[in-house]
Parts: sequence; C-alpha cells; structure tokens
Amino acid sequence: MLEIGPIFRALMRNKVGAILIAIQIAITMTIIVNAVFIIYERSQKMQRESGIDEANSFYLSSAGFAESFNAKVSIKEDLAALRQLPGVANAIQINAIPISGGGWSMGLQTQAGAEYDGVGVAVYMVDEHGVDTLDLEIIAGENFSPSDIGWRETAQRLWPDKIIITKSMAEALFPDDPFETAVGKTVFINDTEPMVITGIIDKLQAPWVGWDRVENAMLSPENLNYESTRYFIRAEPGQRDSVMKNVEEFLAESNTGRIIRSMRSIEETRERSYRGDSAMIKILTTVMIILTVVTALGIVGLASFSVNRRKKQIGTRRALGASQGAILRYFMLENFLISSVGVFLGAALTVGLNVLLVNQFDLDPIDWFYIPIGMVILWIVGQLAVFGPAKKAANIAPAIATRTV
Amino acid sequence: MFSYYLRLAFKSIRRNPILSALMVAAIALGIGSSMTTITVNYLMSANPIPEKSDVLYHVQVDSWDPHNAFNDDDIPNQLTWTEATNLMAANKAMRQTAMAKTGGIIEPSDQDVKPFEASARLAFGDFFSMFNVPFLFGSSWDAEADQNRSQVIVLTKRINEQVFGGVNSVGETLSMFGTNFRVVGVLDDWQPMPKFYDVNNGAFDESEEVFIPFFLKEELELPNWGNTNCWKSPEGEGFKAFLRSECINFQMWVELPTQNDKAEYLDFLNSYVSEQKDLGRFPRPIQNRLSNVMEWMEDQEVVADDAQIMLWLSLMFLLVCLLNTIGLLLAKFTGKAAEIGLRRAVGASKGDLFFQHLVETALIGLLGGVFGLLLALVGLEGIKSLYGEFVRDLAALDFTMVLVGLVLALVSSIAAGLYPTWRACNIAPASQLKSQ
Amino acid sequence: MLKMTEIKKVFRTDLVETHALRDFNLHVDEGDFVAVTGPSGSGKTTFLNIAGLLETFEGGSYQLDGEDVSHLNDKQRSQMRNEKIGFIFQSFNLIPDLDLFDNVDVPLRYRGFNAPERRKRIEQSLDLVGLANRMKHLPSQLSGGQQQRVAIARALAGEPRFLLADEPTGNLDSKMANSVMSLLQDINDRGTTIVMVTHDQELARQAKRNIYVRDGKVSELHEVSELPDAVTA
Repeated sequence: MLEIGPIFRALMRNKVGAILIAIQIAITMTIIVNAVFIIYERSQKMQRESGIDEANSFYLSSAGFAESFNAKVSIKEDLAALRQLPGVANAIQINAIPISGGGWSMGLQTQAGAEYDGVGVAVYMVDEHGVDTLDLEIIAGENFSPSDIGWRETAQRLWPDKIIITKSMAEALFPDDPFETAVGKTVFINDTEPMVITGIIDKLQAPWVGWDRVENAMLSPENLNYESTRYFIRAEPGQRDSVMKNVEEFLAESNTGRIIRSMRSIEETRERSYRGDSAMIKILTTVMIILTVVTALGIVGLASFSVNRRKKQIGTRRALGASQGAILRYFMLENFLISSVGVFLGAALTVGLNVLLVNQFDLDPIDWFYIPIGMVILWIVGQLAVFGPAKKAANIAPAIATRTV
Repeated sequence: MFSYYLRLAFKSIRRNPILSALMVAAIALGIGSSMTTITVNYLMSANPIPEKSDVLYHVQVDSWDPHNAFNDDDIPNQLTWTEATNLMAANKAMRQTAMAKTGGIIEPSDQDVKPFEASARLAFGDFFSMFNVPFLFGSSWDAEADQNRSQVIVLTKRINEQVFGGVNSVGETLSMFGTNFRVVGVLDDWQPMPKFYDVNNGAFDESEEVFIPFFLKEELELPNWGNTNCWKSPEGEGFKAFLRSECINFQMWVELPTQNDKAEYLDFLNSYVSEQKDLGRFPRPIQNRLSNVMEWMEDQEVVADDAQIMLWLSLMFLLVCLLNTIGLLLAKFTGKAAEIGLRRAVGASKGDLFFQHLVETALIGLLGGVFGLLLALVGLEGIKSLYGEFVRDLAALDFTMVLVGLVLALVSSIAAGLYPTWRACNIAPASQLKSQ
Repeated sequence: MLKMTEIKKVFRTDLVETHALRDFNLHVDEGDFVAVTGPSGSGKTTFLNIAGLLETFEGGSYQLDGEDVSHLNDKQRSQMRNEKIGFIFQSFNLIPDLDLFDNVDVPLRYRGFNAPERRKRIEQSLDLVGLANRMKHLPSQLSGGQQQRVAIARALAGEPRFLLADEPTGNLDSKMANSVMSLLQDINDRGTTIVMVTHDQELARQAKRNIYVRDGKVSELHEVSELPDAVTA
C-alpha cells in the first residue's frame, strides 16, 4: 500500500511548492531547535540556587551625610537594634549582595608571588552572624568568632588572616584534594598576603550571575567603617514584607543624619538580575509559537491549494478503487516526504546556526539529541497541519471523475 | 493604467479573502518581528554624536600586569589616576577631558526636599564643548576652575527641578558630599544613546545627575563609582595611596580634528609610555590606542549579544514568512490561470501581465508592511514590559524605522512575488481557453 | 452481470427535488456491449455514476456480478470498483504528474499486488494498447487518442469483469475515435462486459445493444443485429 515511489516522482514534477515547504520546515526547525536550546540553557541558569534564604531576605543601603554622623557607632547601634526587632531572624552589615550584579572580587592563590595565577573569588565582608543571616551551612571547619571581626577602613590594603570559603572555591583551589582538607591551609591574597582557611560553607553565589565561576565566594571577617553601607536582613519565615516596612521606618527615625534607600527583597533582586534571561525566554517562546503557526498555516494553505487543484485526480483515484483512507494516506505521505527533506536540511542548518552562535556569541554547542527531537516535532507539525486538507481530499466525491469541467 | 491595475489588485485580493489575509498576515508577522529587533539593534548601534564621532578619541594605554594581559590579550579599557592627570597636564590635544564616575548625598537647602543620593561625573571643563552638551542656564566652568579645584557644579535639568524648582539656579549654592558648591550651569535634556563616553556601568545607563571638576576627586576624597580593576595592591594605606595605585577607574577623551593630529597624539602617547618605562612602570610592551566614538562602541560591544541573536532569528523568521508568501502567491496566481490566459488571448503582453501582478504583490506587501509596523509597536511595547524602563529609549519607532519597515515589506514582498508572477505570465494564451 | 431494478435517484437542493432516475431498470448480461444514449439531462451520467458505484441511490436494487451493492459501505464499494470495474472517462483523467507506467499502476496499487505482478500487468496492458515503448512518457507528451488508450490500459490492467466507458471518444477526432472504438470491441470480444454512455448515435450503433434513456427512465431498447463494417476495419 505504500506508494512512496509514485508520490515522490509526482512531487519531482511539481517541485516548487514542495521545495518552498521543505525550506520553510528546515528554517523553522533551525530556529526552533536553537531557540529551545537557548531557552533550556537560560532556564537552567535561572534555576541555580544562590545558597541564601531568598524568600525571607532583603537588604538596604544606609548613607550617612551629616557632619555628626559616625559610621562605626551607627553600624553597631543599627545591627544591635535590628537583631532585636520582632520578625527579624538575623541581620548583618555586608559589602555586596549575592546575585545583585555589583560586588567585589579578588584572586586567591596557593603559592605566594606575583608570578602565580590566582583563582577569582567574590568577597563578602561579614561578621560572625554572616553564616546564620545568609542561611549558610558550615560543612567543614568553624564559623568566625566575635574576636575575629575587624574594622575595614576606606581604601584599606591589608586583609584579615582568616577566611571561610565555599566548597566550590575549595575545589577550585585544591582540585586534587577532598574539600574538607582545605581547612587549615594557607592561601595568598594580593600575591603575597597569607590567609588561613578556617571554614567551608556549602554554597554561596557571587554577585555576578553571568560569571562562569559564580560559585566561587569567600567570607572575610570584617565590618566596614564606611559612611555608605549595606545591611542584609533575614526575616522569620513569612514575615518579610511586614519586617521590610518596619525596618525602613525604624532606621529612618533612629538616625536622621543618614538616608535609607535601595531597599529590595532578594526575590526582586533575582528577578532584576535574570530579567534579560527571562525576557529572552519569553521572546524566544513567542517567536517559536508564531513561527510554528506560520509554517503550519503555510502547509495548510499550500496543501488546500494542491487538493483543490487535484480534485479531478482525486475523484479519478477514488473511481479506480482508492478508499477514503487511501486518499488521506496519500496526502499525509506526500507531506511526510516533503517534511523529511525539510527536517534533514533543517538538521544541517540547525548545526550550522549553532556553530555560528557558538563562534559569534560564545553560546554552548547544542546537545546532539535536540536534533532528532526537533525533527520528530516538525514531522508531527507537518502531519497535523496537512490532516485537515487531507481529510477534505478524502471527502471528495468519486463522481467528480465523470464530470467534464 | 496603474490605477486600473490597482483596481484589479483590490478586486483580486477581495476575491480570495482568506488566501490574501494569510499572505498579509505572513508578511506582517515577518516584518513585525524583524522591525522590532532591527529597531532595538539600530538604537543600540546608533551614533550618539554623529557630528563629531570621528574627531573624538578614547585614549587607552597598556599599564597592566607583566604576567597577564588585561583581558584576553586586550589592553585596559580605563586609565589610572596617574595617567589621567599626567596626560591632562601634557595638554597635547585640541580639547581633552579625563573623567570618572562618583556620587554622594545632595542636601537641598529647602527643608521640604529630603536629602537624596545622586550620581556625579568628575570631568574637565572641556567635557561640555567636546560632547556638544546643551545648556539651559549658565555654562561650563573654565580651565582656571579646573586647576584651582573650585567647588563649582553643573546640574542636569532634572536635579535643577528637584532642588531649585526649575528656575535659573546659576550662582546658587548646593550642598553635596557634605560641602558647598556654586552652581555655574544647568543642562538642557541630554542623554546620549549609547552613553558612549563611559560604558562601564551599562552602555544605555542614564547620564550622571551632576558634573564637578575632576581634581575634586582627590580634594574631597570622593568614592569610586563604576568599575575599578587592579592588578597590584596599593603601596601604602589610605585614600591617597589607593588613588596613586595601578588601579584603573578613569576614562579619557581627546578631540583631534585631523588625522595628522591623531598621529601626533599617538606619537606623544608612545613617548609618554617610554618615559614611564624609564621610571619602572608599564612593564608590558608599548601598546597604545586611540579609538573614535564608533570604533570604541564596536570595541566595547555595546550591542547586546541577545539583541543580535534575536535580530538573526527574526530575519530568518522573515525569510520563512516570505517563503510562505511565495507559496501562497503561486497558489493564487495558478488559480488565476484562466483569467491570465484570457487576457493574453485578448492582447495583453507578458509585460502588461507582469506589471499587473507586481502591482498586486506590492499592494499585499504594503498592507503587510503597515500591519507589520503595528505589530512592531506591539513588539516594542512587549520588549519594554519584559526588560523594564531602562530600555525605554531603545524601543521606540522613529520616522527612519517606519520608512525602513515599509521599504523592507515592499522590497521583500515584491521579491517574493517575482517568481510566481513570472510563472503566471508564462502561461500560454491558448492553453487555458479549452474546457480542460 | 449488472442488474438494476427500480433504481431511484433524487437530487435535492433547498428548493427543488430533481428525479434524476426513476424506476430505472436494466439488465446487462456477461459478455454484453451495451451503449446507453440519451439527450443531455436525461440521467445518463447519473446512471453511469450509480453503475460505477461512484454514487449511492435511494430506492430499488442493484446487483453487480451477483452481489447486492446497496448495503456496501464506502470502503467496500471502493474495493469493488477496484476489483470488478474498469473506468474509461471522456477526458481520459490521466494524472498529469505521473508517467504512463505510474498512471497504469494507480489501480494496481490499491489492489495490493506486489511489485513484479504490477510490472507484469502494466507492461501487458500497455502492450495491448500499443504504447509499451512509451512507458516513461508523461500524458502531456501524447496525443488525445494515445491518452485514451493509456486510460484503457489502466482500466484493463486489473482485469475487471466489467468496463464502464463515459463518452470514450468525446474528446477525440473521428480517426482516433475509430481506433479507440475498435480497441473496445476487441476487449469485448475477449469476454469483458462493456457499458458505454454516449450521446453519439453513430457510435452507439457499433455496440451489441443500445438503450435509450429519457427523463430518468429506460424508454426504448433495441438490439444491434450486426456490426457495421467501419468497426471491424
């Protein structure tokens, strides 16, 4: 019953329409498969966890301006008061906010000297409450003690002698050893300044979500004697929004020699940091849907036209003994042949576009299995699109064969 | 004859409303999506200062680490304080300005207006004339103010409205960074797109809110905003040591009217770096660069990758829509074979028929273009809502874009119509007159 | 072979009912060659469509080769057309995109023959109509008479018991018409039953038997006693 031979030969005598559809399918597949791949990569990126309690945390900036403003005093008072506020789980002063886009990076190296390369690391300056406030887990070594915490002056060059690093950072520094063994080891900052690793935390992302080493972070036991500073606050579960309001009012009233600004929840920060990615996902999804509809409509249009043109031929086939099913199969099979040319061409174009994107925009090379999946999907789209016109063809009355016009 | 063809085209479109609507829709979708992305790319890659873009040069010298290049074999994109001040002191260009970004708290004298934080640009007086910055009131500060480290300030229109209610505030006093400034000028609306003179915090960031003399950085110990990169830690503690370190946080632009001026300035840079090498600095091979505005935009890749990817994809989308249109036109014109045969039989030449059908195709293209532009407006609104307010100025159709959209629609639909039209016109006059 | 009793066929539009056939009776014996004539609108084509199982009918009964067809579904009717009936159309109805080989192949595919069997039958039937050397030609490369001979080859390839011809020479000049007609007579001589619908009395006379249709009824029958010379020539 398979009549691939005659269908193919008939198609070859009427190439243009078929080629148009095949190219459309090929380009559609190229766009869709690459778009799905980009969407998948972006959503994977967006789903990475920052390591902090995103749902309950927020932060704000405090900038002192008055002559009388004393940063050290103000920070001590603020933190003591914030930690007492109802609904606040814990609060710290911090120099940068994870996944917010702005922060401080340094290089750590295992051997002293300018000639050795360092491993990039995001620096978070926190006191002994940092681990609890950021909701981190110490998986090796220990937390800072209050006596470890020093004051960092503006433009200070020297660093504390203890740090806590993430597991990923430990693995980046000592790739050959289990991460636990990093505790107690000495690393160097600014080429030659030694620091001892006293603890390892499970996970904490850097401020820069696009950085390829986003899991590399360290905690430095410091408060900052800066007039403009940030507080990071973790609320009790479910109380974030009311706590945010209270904290803002409280800080604004407690000291009028400074302004409170840029208060933002981590959830909003995540939304802002990944806005480009989520926009890209939405745009590509829209493009994919519209494109599929356009291609499907194109197939419907050309198939309807070809059914209309071949009415008499269909009637004749019916007269010669074709059942309705045979006519339906004829058009489905014809479309399958056209789609096959399209999807194989599409497979080549998909790889081509991906190579281009990899070279031009540093995208990742596509995983091979996207291509067969894309081919199957386009085959299905073609079959679904042609089903209507094919059904119409099958319903053409055989008596049309004896009509003379 | 043209109006006759136009009438025929309208009739033909009405006779096949679904097929015609499909074609218009296909072209409209293709044009809509590509115009959306073309507009974003066009605005991102726009020349922010077309009248002077090829005489303004961004200055780069390679002051980086002897062991590692700044970034993938490239030279640093900013200058150290030392270079910024030395090159300014040399005064070798027609106009020049070193600059940096900072910010602080403004305390309005009006008690009703709360203190607020504002971004500030540290620059030399030449900044305003170099970049054709328009003034609403007053003017730039002079070279003397630069050297004397005078506490003078230029406000943007918005800050002037916020603090002084929009009146001419020249001569008034403004309190910022905990000290007093004398207002010397108020800018008119000014927002170069992209913000070419400093793309460090985003090429489409807003311009700073106030402008003050460069040396106040040192005088008032103003913080670094924008990016700071170091390859070596400062030698010594405190603000001064940090300022004199090898950390880069400063930009410099020079105005060089002729190629000869440019060559001379490059020579000067090379000899400057040689002198510095004698002092034990600049451990890397001499590599200095002057980039004009558009070269610098290219170098800094201000057009976002995502925007370019979307542009490519949407052009492919347009191609699919055009292939679709070709197919539908073929179907439509083949359906008109009898009419074409008849017209040929009664004496229409191939040229007549070709023109007649081209008019029809162009009409469909134009309709598609108009709807496509409407879709592009929707698409740009969508981009605004997805990316937020900061792309506001990157998602607006201007007259050029409307024209580009219509021409694109017309050209692409006519291109799509050529083959079907050619095929239709090659129908033999007699073949369609028989009953079969 | 073909037995129609009291066949009724009504065409309905919103306003009018047209009785295309009323109480139509016809018996055709195996091996017969019947010409059906009648003026336009007499019901000739409706008869042809019903006889060829291309259309259904409202009343009466129709037995084809001993089988009552009124209860067959679409699929069974398709199968019956395929196996028992060969069609010859006025405008040949060859498929323009297929060469002669593939055209003759069409009904054989639906029959489900295997490839060697199909090839054998295609070659035989094209040989019979004298076009075996043109197998790879397209219909548009042939004259009208040649095209109709291909159509006849297509009708014969499945070795049907019953051949239905609808104005088989209507689109041909007289010389070609004669050659096609003599081909049909040859086929009839080999035992295939033929029913031919035509408005051409001249042509009808060359059949073994003539019936005349008027207002949807068989109104007149006469036997053809002897074959005219022109046909045997």
